Amino acid sequence: MADVGIDRSSLPIRRPPFAGATKRTFAGSVPDWDQAVHVQPPEGAPNVLLVLIDDAGFGNPSTFGGPIQTPNYTRLGENGLRYNRFHVTALCSPTRAALLTGRNHHRVGFGMVGEYSGPFPGYNATLPRDCAPFPRILQENGYLTGGFGKWHLTPDNQQGFSGPFDRWPTRLGFDYFWGFLGGEAGQYDPLIAENQKIVGVPEAKNGEPYYFQDDLADKTIDWLHRIRSEKQKTPWFAYVATGCSHAPHHVPRKWSDKYRGVFDQGWDVMREETFARQKALGVVPADAELPPRNDAFPRWESLDETHKRLYARQMEVYAGYSENADWNIGRIIDAIDEMGELENTVVIWIWGDNGASMEGTLTGTFNEMTTLNGLPLTPEQQMGLLFKHGGLEAWGDEQLAPHYSAGWAWAGNTPFDWGKQVASHLGGTRNPLVVHWPGGIGDAGAVRGHYTHVTDVGATILDLAGIPMPDSIDGVAQQPFDGATFADSFSDAAAPERHTQQYYEILGNRAMYKDGWLFCQRLQRIPWSLDPEALRQFGPGWDPDADPIELYYLPDDFTQSKNLAAEHPEKVRELGELFWAEAERNHVLPLLGGLSSFFGMVPPIPEESKFVYRGDIQNIPSGMIPRIYNHSYTISADLVVPEGGAEGVIVAEADHLGGFALFVQDGKLKHTYSMLGVFEYTQAAEQPLPTGEVNVELVFTADAPKPATGGEVTLLVNAKPVASGRMEHTVPGRFSGYSGMDIGRDNGLVVDRSYADKAPFAFTGQIKQVVFDVAPHLSEEDASALHEHAAQALAAHAASA
Amino acid sequence: MGDNQQLDVLIAVYLIPDLAQQDFDAYTKLAGDGEIVTDGVALVVKDAEGEVQVQETGDHLGRKGAKAGAGVGLVIGLFAPPLLAATVVGGAVGGLAGKFARHRLQAGIGDKLDDALPPGSAGIIAIYEHDGADAVAGALTNAIRTSTAQIDKASAAELKAGLKEASAGLAG
Repeated sequence: MADVGIDRSSLPIRRPPFAGATKRTFAGSVPDWDQAVHVQPPEGAPNVLLVLIDDAGFGNPSTFGGPIQTPNYTRLGENGLRYNRFHVTALCSPTRAALLTGRNHHRVGFGMVGEYSGPFPGYNATLPRDCAPFPRILQENGYLTGGFGKWHLTPDNQQGFSGPFDRWPTRLGFDYFWGFLGGEAGQYDPLIAENQKIVGVPEAKNGEPYYFQDDLADKTIDWLHRIRSEKQKTPWFAYVATGCSHAPHHVPRKWSDKYRGVFDQGWDVMREETFARQKALGVVPADAELPPRNDAFPRWESLDETHKRLYARQMEVYAGYSENADWNIGRIIDAIDEMGELENTVVIWIWGDNGASMEGTLTGTFNEMTTLNGLPLTPEQQMGLLFKHGGLEAWGDEQLAPHYSAGWAWAGNTPFDWGKQVASHLGGTRNPLVVHWPGGIGDAGAVRGHYTHVTDVGATILDLAGIPMPDSIDGVAQQPFDGATFADSFSDAAAPERHTQQYYEILGNRAMYKDGWLFCQRLQRIPWSLDPEALRQFGPGWDPDADPIELYYLPDDFTQSKNLAAEHPEKVRELGELFWAEAERNHVLPLLGGLSSFFGMVPPIPEESKFVYRGDIQNIPSGMIPRIYNHSYTISADLVVPEGGAEGVIVAEADHLGGFALFVQDGKLKHTYSMLGVFEYTQAAEQPLPTGEVNVELVFTADAPKPATGGEVTLLVNAKPVASGRMEHTVPGRFSGYSGMDIGRDNGLVVDRSYADKAPFAFTGQIKQVVFDVAPHLSEEDASALHEHAAQALAAHAASA
Repeated sequence: MGDNQQLDVLIAVYLIPDLAQQDFDAYTKLAGDGEIVTDGVALVVKDAEGEVQVQETGDHLGRKGAKAGAGVGLVIGLFAPPLLAATVVGGAVGGLAGKFARHRLQAGIGDKLDDALPPGSAGIIAIYEHDGADAVAGALTNAIRTSTAQIDKASAAELKAGLKEASAGLAG
């Protein structure tokens, strides 16, 4: 299709009027080949590789002075540009929503994350159709589009086989998607989605454990090779979002061992050394001051030797994990170079979506799901459980789902204070950005100080491609971008700053930026504390205007160190009022709208309580399994056991760090329940299962319908009890952040390690059906109370996802 | 050992083996300085591959390893097969055999400690007169968990019971 005259203002682009002529025969007919040609991007439109690293801070990569070696990020920075005033939202999904839509996160329903759909427009986790993501615009303008890695923009309860699929990547602008839909994944056993289907947990190859990040690079490269084998010139857009460096911090030992001893001096020294390097590199102004140390994090020297060693190892693993991400993105860059396309590929590489995460609590944790379930563990308990699950040697491997100490996150966000969730402070909102484009950057290696925001990326890419913002898509009038292009700053250091005003808000932490001034109010809550008690103070009676106020002038104060609130009351008033206006305009209100369930606003109680699984059903996403939490339930299975007996898993959810399995081993019915790796319970029949048609049932009789209730388990075979036992504690919120449920097998990491050598331990008989009844005997009052807890647990998990 | 003194049977576990070594050294120094009366101490290390070794032993005089010879005392008897087959670093298995044979126990504490220790960790087992409890607690500063049981005398039966109790305490 000829470029000239194409109307790109309304998408999809309509086929141009037939310019030829048709007669009864070819005689006199005039062809118009544009009728059969797909729309192409404007002439000269470049390829675009957009990379987003997860849960990482400004002071992590060596490219920005950090201790983590990122040679590929650095080579792109040295041959491109480093932006040191680039901003994100301070939380995972919100940043991704803002990045891909070019609009403020609340305006597109992502004041919180995809795991929780709240009852207010800014928190419904449902992208509106009038704010289509810019990949859709690229796609409709002829770009080839691929998305790889973490998505986190599909509501938690819409990730299964039945959809709906309109918030899956393939309906939001990606021709092809491979990755995971949720907020996190185990690097050894992710649950993979491909296009519009959950395809399962990948298998290990060649005797080596599967590793997601390696596969992520392979899949991206493979896609590039495939599209180029068919379309040699059409520009492509690839969005690569790593699972790294989000928990669980998983990386093969060869990567983490590179950092042995590097962090022995602790986070206080790391912070100072990073700051010195940042100044030497010029990514932090020479006159900048390091903010005073934050007493929320213990002084390294106050720790005993065991904890110093433990914490140092935590950071060694995180560093190796992050360097591996750099290496794998480097492989993609190399592949593009080998294809001869690096010259005309714009690489936009953002190192972190919300600063580094402090959600591991002060001690770090062997299993991040303990924190996300609101399970308080003392430092002694954390240590004991680490010991139980493999000790220090296991940190980084599949035995644990670890998250490092919050102290490392704080230091990783150097030169700023705080981090993830804390939208009032630059530790949560300012992340490194590198832009590389040999064909379009003049002063390679320079540092750009333009105030830029994640919403600017879409506008910039469209600008580079010469594609206009459409007025409508699919007949739906589109809201304008909130972001603005900074494409001209690629070639012009003096290009004007267009992003002169921006609000920030995550979980009540808020800020208002305007023309260099930053007004901020941090919620008086530490980021790793998200329980009803901690939140009670923000219920009715809370006056947000009474929260402590800070004011900074960032052009003179790069690190947000000099609070000028007392000296400029007029600026405080002006920006405070502007924040409320912006909050209203962008659907930020009510503050904490994503945590409504903590304040008595819970979703309607689901009517479904019985779930029937027939046939070969595997890989049910973790957010979509029957909610067996906090009350009585039954699991019943109709089996056919052949002569000679059967073995294998009847049904299993997640793994040994949280999950359950009903299985047959040595011919006998067994049940194992892992309460997040803190407690494990097993009941086993003494007699083998009979052959033929057999019904087995698990009955959990809760002590009371309450969070984490204990109760009695009874296993029955053909209605006769064959085993029983007590479970003193059960999982209150969620077994896993990513691992799914399977009928007839236990995919991925297994629940009971006694059958790990036979994994997935597929059932050798026939399973006719498995039936969950999750609300057999609840009163209306109990059902309501439990539902409220479930909503709170989900919201708390979501806030940290 | 005094006839009327109650004995403490202590098991301590460590996340970091060389910190266990530091505590082991501190313990044997207490014994050598005469600040505690001990029947013996053993440092058990499980390496990164999961192999368990008796890294070092100490006797009632605070002497370590090979120097301790036959005097390593009861504590070495804690180790039931298969741990006995493990290497005794710096020691002479033969020299220990007699003492061990007299106190061969079926308590299975060796197996239990093996089970309790993840790869790359360590444990200390010690027997000492109860009067030295405070001094021992002050020496074993790097343990992530300790468990102590008291017994009346250094007999096999008493020791077996004490170990069982101390072992149970570790699991809490």
